Amino acid sequence: MKDLAVRLAALDADAGAALQVIAYFDSLVEARAGLQSIVRGAAVLAGCPARLEDDERRLRIRVDQAGVSSLSPEPVDPAWLRMPIHGDGPAALWLERAGPPGPVEAMILERASGAARGVLDRTRGRARTPDPASVELVLDAGADPELRRTAARGLGLPADRPVHAIALAGGGAAVAAADAPPPPGRAGIGPPGTVLELPVSWTAARTALRFAADGTDEDPGPTVVHFAQLGALTLLAELPAAQIPDVRALEHAGSGAPWLLSTLDAVAGGVSLRAAATALRVHHSTLQDRIVHAEHLLGWNVREPHGRFRLQLALALRRLHRHR
Amino acid sequence: MTTILPPTDSVAPPVPFDPELAAALTAINEMLPPAFTADQIQSLRSGGPQFLITNEELERGGKFTVAERVVPGLDGDPDISLLICTPTAATGTLGCVYNIHGGGMIVGDNRMGVPEVQDWAEELDLVVVSVQYRLAPETPHPGPVNDCYAGLLWTAEHADELGFDASRLVVTGASAGGGLAAAVTLMARDKGGPELAGQVLNCPMLDDRNDTASSWQMAGRGIWDRTANDTGWTALLGDARGGPEVSPYAAPARATDLSNLPPTFVDVGSAETFRDEDIAYANRIWLAGGRAELHVWPGCFHGFDGFVPQARLSQEAKATRLRWLHRLLDA
Repeated sequence: MKDLAVRLAALDADAGAALQVIAYFDSLVEARAGLQSIVRGAAVLAGCPARLEDDERRLRIRVDQAGVSSLSPEPVDPAWLRMPIHGDGPAALWLERAGPPGPVEAMILERASGAARGVLDRTRGRARTPDPASVELVLDAGADPELRRTAARGLGLPADRPVHAIALAGGGAAVAAADAPPPPGRAGIGPPGTVLELPVSWTAARTALRFAADGTDEDPGPTVVHFAQLGALTLLAELPAAQIPDVRALEHAGSGAPWLLSTLDAVAGGVSLRAAATALRVHHSTLQDRIVHAEHLLGWNVREPHGRFRLQLALALRRLHRHR
Repeated sequence: MTTILPPTDSVAPPVPFDPELAAALTAINEMLPPAFTADQIQSLRSGGPQFLITNEELERGGKFTVAERVVPGLDGDPDISLLICTPTAATGTLGCVYNIHGGGMIVGDNRMGVPEVQDWAEELDLVVVSVQYRLAPETPHPGPVNDCYAGLLWTAEHADELGFDASRLVVTGASAGGGLAAAVTLMARDKGGPELAGQVLNCPMLDDRNDTASSWQMAGRGIWDRTANDTGWTALLGDARGGPEVSPYAAPARATDLSNLPPTFVDVGSAETFRDEDIAYANRIWLAGGRAELHVWPGCFHGFDGFVPQARLSQEAKATRLRWLHRLLDA
């Protein structure tokens, strides 16, 4: 009639102990126990300190064999027993004991890391790779609405908040809650709406993507573009491909100096030349010199209102042309 | 034995166990099922010695000297044995904690529960005295409580010899030991016994009537359910259990007067048979104008901190008892 660790120590290495370990962690999972309880269980059952470390989520838990939470400044020792939380990631459950693991330790590692994985995925929102077939289904206007709703639930989309489609560079598609942060890299984002409006959002997202830039000197501009913020510019996307003299002039000017296009983009988008200079991290007078040079190459003044609008239009058309 | 029927249509759903404790309970219940009957008492007793606490463990690498003293029983009763652990490195004035072990009145020995009390003793400079009282059903009431009281009297009278200040004597016990600690505290008050500094009642077994809402609510679950409780009380009281003649020294919940008691600490789990009788005891001390502190640990089964000392709530419960003792004795 003492504590569980004594009981398990007596059973060490036999099948009964492994079954006890399984039952212990199953019970924690069933009761939706937290990470501290899971790591404590591993430490107490293994009879040595246990850790859960997940740099991605900035998570560090250490519990000693008496069940006391005690973070240690010492880094983990690669020789210790370890089980990754996700097959491919650095996050892992550790037992502070060198290997190889006995059968009970192996069972503790497996069950504790599995239990921790469940909690992390449930509570800390690991970005799971969404099922591409489900994404395809929710973007297909011809598919049965009920199937699309089911697929949306499977993808974890909220039913009670707006959602939108996202067109990714390289042709990829994503769907997300409209208030979720945008993905990294070049992306076009469709207007928010209901789950069943995602196909419309998707068409618009692909248009928006054509206005998105790589964000490099060669292709300066915003990397994430929301269709809803483009306004009448969207009409440009419907025009047939054509040789436009102002776009040719931009290409010509850009080919001479690597800084020229990003300078023009900053001038076109900045609230003032001073703000543009700050954004470009150049002195105001340097910017003035560069603008004079660019205007010479382009053949029009980019500082007066009409010339600035002409520049904005030319830059937008150039992105449309590049990302056809 | 009176058969009590559950209150019609009013048994509340059970309180869920804390997740960590629930996970450990599966293994504990294999050794100790929630319910057991009188015919299982012998097998429960024989399950004990494999976890016997040795003198070496009690010595804690030289921090305590361990002795056993045989002292007279009450009013011509047989002699009783006291386990005495004295801290070796204490500097200030020592106090004393008089420990009464648990085990439902029917099992256990005076080494049970001593390690936790030694944790207090190390931190607060206390002599530990733990009494070996006779068990029911072989020794029915009043044998067990009289043994406990005789040991307490001897301890208080030998404060100088044991090396502690008689004004710093605290009684404690868990489960049946908590009930017996409450009982000797009542006896000391009523019979002009030693002036106690406090009583620490850990999930005490107080009420032979075994008919509170929590006793019904947790039937068949956790540790020491109402069937086991019936077994323990019936062993102690026989046919008198639950009847009108039960003494408060057998079942302190029967006391009509809870005034003039020393400062009292009561703790209990929310998911155990004793929840309601323990809450009521603390409340009645307050109603009598007394000093009590009550902790109800959420989702905890009977004796959780002893069975699963590593669990988070066990750590909190043990730390809370120690903090109370600090407040009591640090003066």
